[in-house]
Amino acid sequence: MSASDDQADVERILAGDSAAFEGIVRRWQGPLVNLAYRFCRDRGRAEDMAQEAFLRAYRGLAGWRRDAAFSTWLFALAANLYRTEFHRVSARTLPLEEAAEPHGESGADETLAAEARDRAVRRAVLGLPAKYRDAVVLFYFHSMDVAAAAQSLGLSEGTVKARLHRGREILRRKLPRFAALRWKNAG
Amino acid sequence: MRDEELDRILSDEPGVVPSSGFTVAVMEAVRREAATPPPIPFPWKRALPGLAAWLVVLVVAVFSSHSGAALETAGVPFWPRFLSAATAALATAGRFGVGWVALALLLSLVSVTLSMRLTGWRS
Repeated sequence: MSASDDQADVERILAGDSAAFEGIVRRWQGPLVNLAYRFCRDRGRAEDMAQEAFLRAYRGLAGWRRDAAFSTWLFALAANLYRTEFHRVSARTLPLEEAAEPHGESGADETLAAEARDRAVRRAVLGLPAKYRDAVVLFYFHSMDVAAAAQSLGLSEGTVKARLHRGREILRRKLPRFAALRWKNAG
Repeated sequence: MRDEELDRILSDEPGVVPSSGFTVAVMEAVRREAATPPPIPFPWKRALPGLAAWLVVLVVAVFSSHSGAALETAGVPFWPRFLSAATAALATAGRFGVGWVALALLLSLVSVTLSMRLTGWRS
């Protein structure tokens, strides 16, 4: 993904060539759908949300100031939309207390149990209070890059670090049974 | 659960691949968007004289009520005089139907703000 490609496409779109937006969609559809998926855990809804994010990006292209990378601007816009959508439409999420926990670890089922545990932990993130959930989702989406998560959220790095710490703390406290499992894939 | 374990679970998440028709769907929406004429902006330039005139009328009405009440209550302490003037001003405003106008404006503002929020105009 090249920043110059984004810049060139944006220039063409602003000059009236709306078809140039296809290049932007092709380059960024994967990350935007994946980020949306992390907020809703529903593939169909993730695509709807990503489509809306692209539409808003198209409408707001003139508002992209070139002092930040196009991707930074796009992720901040998308994250803002996804967070709003998450609040607006009740997501198919589970409260932390109801997050499914795997049943034991019976020999051959150990791998399946580990997978179930991983899925449950990911879903449990959505049960966190909004400000911790957003920090956790963006941090891991950006490959554990605090600075990138902070830019997407429009917060300082210190605030994001504090929210991450608190979010993890809540997850650990709310999911005690996971600690009892053997971590076959942990290494 | 240790931080490293959480890190592993949350960062090793398998990604979802957008469906094959996703780009086409987005571009169709973009083309529709491009074909739609831009929304008509609120005509502030035309509305401003009317709003200014309305404000002037309101100020004059309040001022005339206040000055009339002041003449009648000369020598009376400030607060009773103020209350009397305010009551007179409200009565004048009531004669002009200002209360209903204010209520209508407030309702309009609330409904416009609400609909804009629901359609997600603030990206």
